[in-house]
Amino acid sequence: MTGALRGFVAIAFAAAVLYGLQRTTPGYGDITSPIRVTGKPGQRVEASAFSIVTGKVHLARSVTIRSAGRGQALTTSGVWVLVEGTAEARSESLGLTSAQWLGPNGVRYALSQRLSTAPGILPAQRLEPGLPKPVLMAFEVPQGQLSGGTLLVARSAWTPLEEEVGITMTDIRPDDIRPFLVLARSEGAVPWTLNAQ
Amino acid sequence: MMAAAVQKGERRRYWLSLAALAIVLPLAIVVNSWESAVAWRERNVRTALVAERGAAQSYAGAQWQLTGLTRLAEGSADAILIVVEFEAAVDDPELVRKGACEVVLTDDKERRWLPAFIPARAVRQARPAAADKPRCGALLNAEKGNTIKMAESFTIPASATGLKVFLTVAAARPAYLIFK
Repeated sequence: MTGALRGFVAIAFAAAVLYGLQRTTPGYGDITSPIRVTGKPGQRVEASAFSIVTGKVHLARSVTIRSAGRGQALTTSGVWVLVEGTAEARSESLGLTSAQWLGPNGVRYALSQRLSTAPGILPAQRLEPGLPKPVLMAFEVPQGQLSGGTLLVARSAWTPLEEEVGITMTDIRPDDIRPFLVLARSEGAVPWTLNAQ
Repeated sequence: MMAAAVQKGERRRYWLSLAALAIVLPLAIVVNSWESAVAWRERNVRTALVAERGAAQSYAGAQWQLTGLTRLAEGSADAILIVVEFEAAVDDPELVRKGACEVVLTDDKERRWLPAFIPARAVRQARPAAADKPRCGALLNAEKGNTIKMAESFTIPASATGLKVFLTVAAARPAYLIFK
Protein backbone atom coordinates (compact mmCIF):
# COMPACT_ATOMS: atom_id res chain seq x y z
CA MET A 1 0.00 0.00 0.00
CA THR A 2 2.68 2.43 1.06
CA GLY A 3 4.73 1.17 -1.91
CA ALA A 4 1.97 2.06 -4.37
CA LEU A 5 1.51 5.43 -2.71
CA ARG A 6 5.21 6.13 -2.85
CA GLY A 7 5.27 5.22 -6.55
CA PHE A 8 2.37 7.54 -7.24
CA VAL A 9 4.02 10.44 -5.41
CA ALA A 10 7.30 9.84 -7.31
CA ILE A 11 5.51 9.86 -10.67
CA ALA A 12 3.56 13.00 -9.78
CA PHE A 13 6.76 14.70 -8.66
CA ALA A 14 8.59 13.70 -11.85
CA ALA A 15 5.68 14.94 -13.97
CA ALA A 16 5.69 18.27 -12.13
CA VAL A 17 9.44 18.69 -12.63
CA LEU A 18 9.20 17.82 -16.33
CA TYR A 19 6.32 20.23 -16.78
CA GLY A 20 8.33 22.98 -15.13
CA LEU A 21 11.33 22.27 -17.34
CA GLN A 22 9.16 22.25 -20.43
CA ARG A 23 7.57 25.59 -19.59
CA THR A 24 10.86 27.31 -18.79
CA THR A 25 12.90 26.00 -21.75
CA PRO A 26 13.97 29.00 -23.83
CA GLY A 27 13.06 28.79 -27.50
CA TYR A 28 15.63 28.45 -30.25
CA GLY A 29 15.18 32.12 -31.05
CA ASP A 30 15.99 33.08 -27.46
CA ILE A 31 19.06 30.86 -27.25
CA THR A 32 20.55 32.25 -30.44
CA SER A 33 19.35 35.85 -30.18
CA PRO A 34 21.94 38.63 -30.43
CA ILE A 35 23.77 39.58 -27.24
CA ARG A 36 22.76 43.12 -26.27
CA VAL A 37 25.39 45.67 -25.27
CA THR A 38 23.52 48.62 -23.77
CA GLY A 39 24.48 52.25 -23.67
CA LYS A 40 23.26 55.83 -23.45
CA PRO A 41 22.90 58.48 -26.14
CA GLY A 42 26.06 60.51 -26.60
CA GLN A 43 28.15 57.81 -24.99
CA ARG A 44 30.56 55.60 -26.92
CA VAL A 45 29.09 52.08 -26.84
CA GLU A 46 31.56 49.32 -27.59
CA ALA A 47 30.68 45.90 -28.94
CA SER A 48 33.58 43.55 -29.59
CA ALA A 49 33.63 44.23 -33.33
CA PHE A 50 32.58 47.87 -33.53
CA SER A 51 31.75 50.98 -31.52
CA ILE A 52 29.10 53.62 -32.07
CA VAL A 53 28.19 57.02 -30.58
CA THR A 54 24.87 58.66 -31.32
CA GLY A 55 24.64 62.39 -31.78
CA LYS A 56 21.65 64.55 -32.64
CA VAL A 57 18.24 63.01 -33.23
CA HIS A 58 15.96 64.84 -35.65
CA LEU A 59 12.20 64.29 -35.80
CA ALA A 60 10.16 65.48 -38.75
CA ARG A 61 6.89 64.96 -40.62
CA SER A 62 8.56 65.24 -43.99
CA VAL A 63 12.13 64.90 -45.23
CA THR A 64 13.36 66.48 -48.44
CA ILE A 65 16.46 65.04 -50.08
CA ARG A 66 18.18 67.79 -51.96
CA SER A 67 20.61 66.78 -54.68
CA ALA A 68 21.76 68.66 -57.78
CA GLY A 69 19.48 71.59 -56.99
CA ARG A 70 16.34 69.46 -57.03
CA GLY A 71 14.45 68.34 -53.98
CA GLN A 72 11.99 65.55 -53.38
CA ALA A 73 9.80 65.72 -50.28
CA LEU A 74 9.12 62.38 -48.61
CA THR A 75 6.14 62.40 -46.28
CA THR A 76 5.20 59.62 -43.91
CA SER A 77 2.12 58.55 -42.00
CA GLY A 78 4.32 58.27 -38.91
CA VAL A 79 7.29 60.38 -37.94
CA TRP A 80 10.73 60.46 -39.54
CA VAL A 81 13.48 59.76 -37.02
CA LEU A 82 16.94 60.68 -38.28
CA VAL A 83 19.76 59.69 -35.95
CA GLU A 84 23.24 61.07 -36.53
CA GLY A 85 26.19 59.17 -35.12
CA THR A 86 29.78 58.08 -35.49
CA ALA A 87 30.76 54.46 -35.96
CA GLU A 88 34.10 52.70 -36.06
CA ALA A 89 35.28 49.14 -36.61
CA ARG A 90 37.47 47.89 -33.79
CA SER A 91 39.63 45.09 -35.15
CA GLU A 92 38.56 44.34 -38.72
CA SER A 93 36.92 46.29 -41.56
CA LEU A 94 33.17 45.73 -41.60
CA GLY A 95 29.78 47.12 -42.53
CA LEU A 96 26.81 47.55 -40.16
CA THR A 97 23.84 46.43 -42.22
CA SER A 98 21.21 46.36 -39.49
CA ALA A 99 19.75 49.22 -37.46
CA GLN A 100 16.32 49.01 -35.85
CA TRP A 101 14.10 51.24 -33.77
CA LEU A 102 12.63 49.15 -30.97
CA GLY A 103 9.41 50.79 -29.81
CA PRO A 104 8.24 50.69 -26.17
CA ASN A 105 5.67 48.00 -27.06
CA GLY A 106 8.38 45.70 -28.47
CA VAL A 107 7.75 46.30 -32.17
CA ARG A 108 10.89 46.73 -34.28
CA TYR A 109 11.14 49.21 -37.13
CA ALA A 110 13.88 48.57 -39.70
CA LEU A 111 15.77 51.35 -41.49
CA SER A 112 13.61 53.16 -44.01
CA GLN A 113 14.40 51.96 -47.52
CA ARG A 114 13.27 55.29 -48.93
CA LEU A 115 16.41 57.04 -47.69
CA SER A 116 18.77 54.19 -48.58
CA THR A 117 20.64 56.36 -51.08
CA ALA A 118 21.09 59.32 -48.71
CA PRO A 119 24.71 60.36 -48.03
CA GLY A 120 26.32 58.63 -45.05
CA ILE A 121 23.45 56.20 -44.54
CA LEU A 122 24.62 53.41 -42.22
CA PRO A 123 24.33 50.16 -44.23
CA ALA A 124 26.21 51.67 -47.19
CA GLN A 125 29.25 52.63 -45.10
CA ARG A 126 32.40 50.59 -44.94
CA LEU A 127 33.93 51.04 -41.48
CA GLU A 128 37.68 50.72 -41.01
CA PRO A 129 39.52 50.13 -37.71
CA GLY A 130 41.00 53.37 -36.39
CA LEU A 131 38.89 55.60 -38.66
CA PRO A 132 35.63 56.78 -37.02
CA LYS A 133 33.06 57.58 -39.68
CA PRO A 134 29.94 59.76 -39.46
CA VAL A 135 26.81 57.69 -40.12
CA LEU A 136 23.14 58.51 -40.53
CA MET A 137 20.16 56.28 -39.67
CA ALA A 138 16.62 56.99 -40.83
CA PHE A 139 13.43 55.37 -39.54
CA GLU A 140 9.72 55.86 -40.06
CA VAL A 141 8.04 55.27 -36.72
CA PRO A 142 4.45 55.79 -35.46
CA GLN A 143 4.31 58.75 -33.10
CA GLY A 144 3.32 56.57 -30.13
CA GLN A 145 6.50 54.51 -30.50
CA LEU A 146 8.87 57.45 -30.21
CA SER A 147 9.46 58.07 -26.53
CA GLY A 148 10.91 55.07 -24.74
CA GLY A 149 12.39 53.76 -27.97
CA THR A 150 15.69 51.90 -28.24
CA LEU A 151 18.12 52.06 -31.14
CA LEU A 152 19.53 48.63 -32.03
CA VAL A 153 22.62 48.38 -34.26
CA ALA A 154 24.25 45.14 -35.39
CA ARG A 155 26.45 43.81 -38.18
CA SER A 156 23.51 41.92 -39.61
CA ALA A 157 19.94 41.33 -38.56
CA TRP A 158 20.10 37.54 -38.82
CA THR A 159 23.41 36.39 -37.38
CA PRO A 160 22.84 34.40 -34.19
CA LEU A 161 24.92 35.15 -31.09
CA GLU A 162 26.51 38.27 -32.54
CA GLU A 163 26.67 41.38 -30.42
CA GLU A 164 24.09 44.10 -30.86
CA VAL A 165 24.33 47.59 -29.47
CA GLY A 166 21.15 48.85 -27.78
CA ILE A 167 20.95 52.57 -27.01
CA THR A 168 17.96 53.71 -24.99
CA MET A 169 16.92 56.94 -26.64
CA THR A 170 15.99 59.30 -23.84
CA ASP A 171 15.16 62.90 -24.54
CA ILE A 172 12.81 62.18 -27.44
CA ARG A 173 9.88 64.61 -27.18
CA PRO A 174 6.96 64.67 -29.62
CA ASP A 175 7.08 68.51 -29.29
CA ASP A 176 10.32 68.45 -31.24
CA ILE A 177 8.72 67.10 -34.40
CA ARG A 178 9.35 69.59 -37.14
CA PRO A 179 7.13 69.84 -40.20
CA PHE A 180 9.99 69.84 -42.72
CA LEU A 181 13.60 68.75 -42.74
CA VAL A 182 16.04 69.13 -45.62
CA LEU A 183 18.79 66.55 -46.11
CA ALA A 184 21.55 67.67 -48.48
CA ARG A 185 24.90 66.29 -49.57
CA SER A 186 27.95 68.03 -48.15
CA GLU A 187 31.61 67.97 -49.11
CA GLY A 188 32.84 68.33 -45.53
CA ALA A 189 33.96 65.68 -43.06
CA VAL A 190 30.30 64.88 -42.40
CA PRO A 191 28.87 64.03 -45.84
CA TRP A 192 25.40 65.50 -45.18
CA THR A 193 23.70 68.55 -43.73
CA LEU A 194 20.29 68.56 -42.00
CA ASN A 195 18.30 71.75 -41.75
CA ALA A 196 14.80 72.57 -40.60
CA GLN A 197 13.00 74.64 -43.17
CA MET B 1 25.49 -20.63 -5.23
CA MET B 2 23.86 -19.88 -8.58
CA ALA B 3 22.57 -16.51 -7.37
CA ALA B 4 26.01 -15.52 -6.16
CA ALA B 5 27.56 -16.30 -9.59
CA VAL B 6 24.97 -14.21 -11.42
CA GLN B 7 25.52 -11.41 -8.98
CA LYS B 8 29.24 -11.57 -9.51
CA GLY B 9 28.87 -11.35 -13.33
CA GLU B 10 26.45 -8.47 -13.05
CA ARG B 11 28.72 -6.61 -10.70
CA ARG B 12 31.63 -6.99 -13.09
CA ARG B 13 29.54 -5.73 -16.03
CA TYR B 14 28.42 -2.77 -13.93
CA TRP B 15 31.97 -1.69 -13.15
CA LEU B 16 33.13 -2.35 -16.71
CA SER B 17 30.33 -0.17 -18.07
CA LEU B 18 31.17 2.57 -15.64
CA ALA B 19 34.84 2.45 -16.59
CA ALA B 20 33.92 2.41 -20.29
CA LEU B 21 32.07 5.70 -19.85
CA ALA B 22 35.38 7.40 -19.12
CA ILE B 23 36.53 6.42 -22.63
CA VAL B 24 33.24 6.51 -24.52
CA LEU B 25 32.17 10.00 -23.40
CA PRO B 26 35.31 11.84 -24.55
CA LEU B 27 35.26 9.73 -27.73
CA ALA B 28 31.66 10.78 -28.44
CA ILE B 29 32.62 14.43 -27.97
CA VAL B 30 35.57 14.06 -30.35
CA VAL B 31 33.50 12.25 -33.00
CA ASN B 32 30.70 14.81 -32.80
CA SER B 33 32.92 17.86 -32.97
CA TRP B 34 35.42 16.50 -35.53
CA GLU B 35 33.97 18.35 -38.51
CA SER B 36 33.72 21.62 -36.61
CA ALA B 37 37.30 21.23 -35.41
CA VAL B 38 38.51 20.68 -38.98
CA ALA B 39 36.58 23.77 -40.14
CA TRP B 40 37.99 25.80 -37.27
CA ARG B 41 41.53 24.69 -38.12
CA GLU B 42 41.02 25.69 -41.73
CA ARG B 43 40.02 29.17 -40.64
CA ASN B 44 42.34 29.77 -37.73
CA VAL B 45 45.47 27.64 -37.73
CA ARG B 46 48.00 29.21 -39.99
CA THR B 47 51.50 28.51 -41.13
CA ALA B 48 53.37 31.51 -42.41
CA LEU B 49 55.47 31.68 -45.56
CA VAL B 50 57.42 34.92 -45.65
CA ALA B 51 58.11 36.53 -49.01
CA GLU B 52 61.03 38.91 -48.66
CA ARG B 53 60.95 42.15 -50.57
CA GLY B 54 61.96 41.67 -54.21
CA ALA B 55 62.07 37.87 -54.00
CA ALA B 56 59.47 35.43 -55.26
CA GLN B 57 57.88 32.91 -52.92
CA SER B 58 56.24 29.69 -53.97
CA TYR B 59 52.71 29.35 -52.62
CA ALA B 60 49.47 27.69 -53.78
CA GLY B 61 50.83 26.66 -57.18
CA ALA B 62 52.36 30.01 -58.12
CA GLN B 63 55.42 32.21 -57.55
CA TRP B 64 54.31 35.33 -55.71
CA GLN B 65 56.11 38.62 -55.60
CA LEU B 66 55.33 42.02 -54.16
CA THR B 67 55.89 44.64 -56.85
CA GLY B 68 54.75 47.80 -55.17
CA LEU B 69 53.55 49.25 -51.86
CA THR B 70 52.40 52.85 -52.19
CA ARG B 71 51.15 55.30 -49.60
CA LEU B 72 48.72 57.94 -50.88
CA ALA B 73 46.92 60.84 -49.23
CA GLU B 74 43.21 60.12 -48.96
CA GLY B 75 41.87 63.64 -48.60
CA SER B 76 41.27 63.73 -44.85
CA ALA B 77 44.10 64.32 -42.39
CA ASP B 78 44.00 61.08 -40.42
CA ALA B 79 43.44 58.55 -43.21
CA ILE B 80 45.77 57.30 -45.91
CA LEU B 81 45.44 54.89 -48.81
CA ILE B 82 47.76 51.95 -49.22
CA VAL B 83 48.04 50.39 -52.67
CA VAL B 84 49.52 46.90 -52.72
CA GLU B 85 50.64 45.59 -56.11
CA PHE B 86 51.75 42.01 -56.54
CA GLU B 87 52.08 39.36 -59.19
CA ALA B 88 51.80 35.61 -59.40
CA ALA B 89 53.64 33.44 -61.95
CA VAL B 90 51.39 30.42 -62.31
CA ASP B 91 52.90 26.92 -62.05
CA ASP B 92 49.82 24.87 -61.30
CA PRO B 93 46.62 26.52 -62.60
CA GLU B 94 44.41 23.81 -61.05
CA LEU B 95 45.61 24.61 -57.55
CA VAL B 96 45.55 28.37 -58.03
CA ARG B 97 42.02 28.43 -59.42
CA LYS B 98 40.62 26.40 -56.58
CA GLY B 99 39.01 28.68 -54.03
CA ALA B 100 38.96 32.34 -53.24
CA CYS B 101 41.97 34.52 -52.67
CA GLU B 102 42.01 37.00 -49.78
CA VAL B 103 44.35 39.87 -49.04
CA VAL B 104 44.42 41.52 -45.63
CA LEU B 105 46.53 44.37 -44.30
CA THR B 106 47.46 44.24 -40.61
CA ASP B 107 49.39 46.45 -38.21
CA ASP B 108 51.24 45.86 -34.95
CA LYS B 109 48.04 46.33 -32.90
CA GLU B 110 46.57 43.36 -34.80
CA ARG B 111 43.96 45.43 -36.54
CA ARG B 112 42.90 44.03 -39.90
CA TRP B 113 41.88 46.04 -42.94
CA LEU B 114 40.09 44.45 -45.86
CA PRO B 115 40.62 45.77 -49.38
CA ALA B 116 38.26 48.22 -51.09
CA PHE B 117 35.82 46.80 -53.64
CA ILE B 118 36.65 49.54 -56.11
CA PRO B 119 39.88 51.57 -55.93
CA ALA B 120 39.26 55.10 -54.61
CA ARG B 121 39.42 58.12 -56.88
CA ALA B 122 42.77 59.13 -55.37
CA VAL B 123 44.26 55.77 -56.42
CA ARG B 124 43.02 56.24 -59.98
CA GLN B 125 44.61 59.70 -60.11
CA ALA B 126 47.94 58.91 -58.49
CA ARG B 127 48.53 55.36 -59.72
CA PRO B 128 46.30 54.71 -62.73
CA ALA B 129 48.32 51.59 -63.64
CA ALA B 130 47.53 50.04 -60.25
CA ALA B 131 43.88 51.05 -60.41
CA ASP B 132 43.52 49.20 -63.73
CA LYS B 133 45.01 45.98 -62.39
CA PRO B 134 42.45 43.36 -61.39
CA ARG B 135 41.96 42.37 -57.77
CA CYS B 136 43.03 39.04 -56.32
CA GLY B 137 40.02 37.22 -57.81
CA ALA B 138 41.77 37.43 -61.20
CA LEU B 139 43.40 34.10 -60.32
CA LEU B 140 40.26 32.31 -61.47
CA ASN B 141 41.37 32.51 -65.10
CA ALA B 142 44.95 31.44 -64.42
CA GLU B 143 46.83 29.59 -67.18
CA LYS B 144 50.14 27.80 -66.81
CA GLY B 145 53.14 30.02 -67.42
CA ASN B 146 51.17 33.26 -67.13
CA THR B 147 52.14 36.01 -64.77
CA ILE B 148 49.07 37.69 -63.31
CA LYS B 149 49.51 41.24 -62.06
CA MET B 150 47.10 42.28 -59.33
CA ALA B 151 46.53 45.19 -56.97
CA GLU B 152 44.43 45.84 -53.86
CA SER B 153 43.85 49.15 -52.09
CA PHE B 154 43.16 49.83 -48.41
CA THR B 155 42.03 52.84 -46.38
CA ILE B 156 43.83 52.95 -43.04
CA PRO B 157 44.64 55.51 -40.31
CA ALA B 158 47.84 57.46 -40.95
CA SER B 159 49.03 56.48 -37.46
CA ALA B 160 49.11 52.72 -38.17
CA THR B 161 52.60 51.22 -37.94
CA GLY B 162 54.18 47.84 -38.60
CA LEU B 163 52.10 47.10 -41.68
CA LYS B 164 52.11 43.61 -43.16
CA VAL B 165 50.27 42.19 -46.14
CA PHE B 166 48.73 38.74 -45.69
CA LEU B 167 47.56 36.70 -48.63
CA THR B 168 45.67 33.41 -48.47
CA VAL B 169 44.28 31.16 -51.17
CA ALA B 170 41.56 28.84 -49.87
CA ALA B 171 43.06 25.68 -51.40
CA ALA B 172 46.45 26.27 -49.77
CA ARG B 173 45.25 26.84 -46.21
CA PRO B 174 46.44 26.59 -43.48
CA ALA B 175 49.53 28.00 -45.19
CA TYR B 176 49.51 31.73 -45.90
CA LEU B 177 51.86 34.25 -47.38
CA ILE B 178 53.25 37.41 -45.75
CA PHE B 179 54.78 40.18 -47.82
CA LYS B 180 57.27 42.25 -45.89
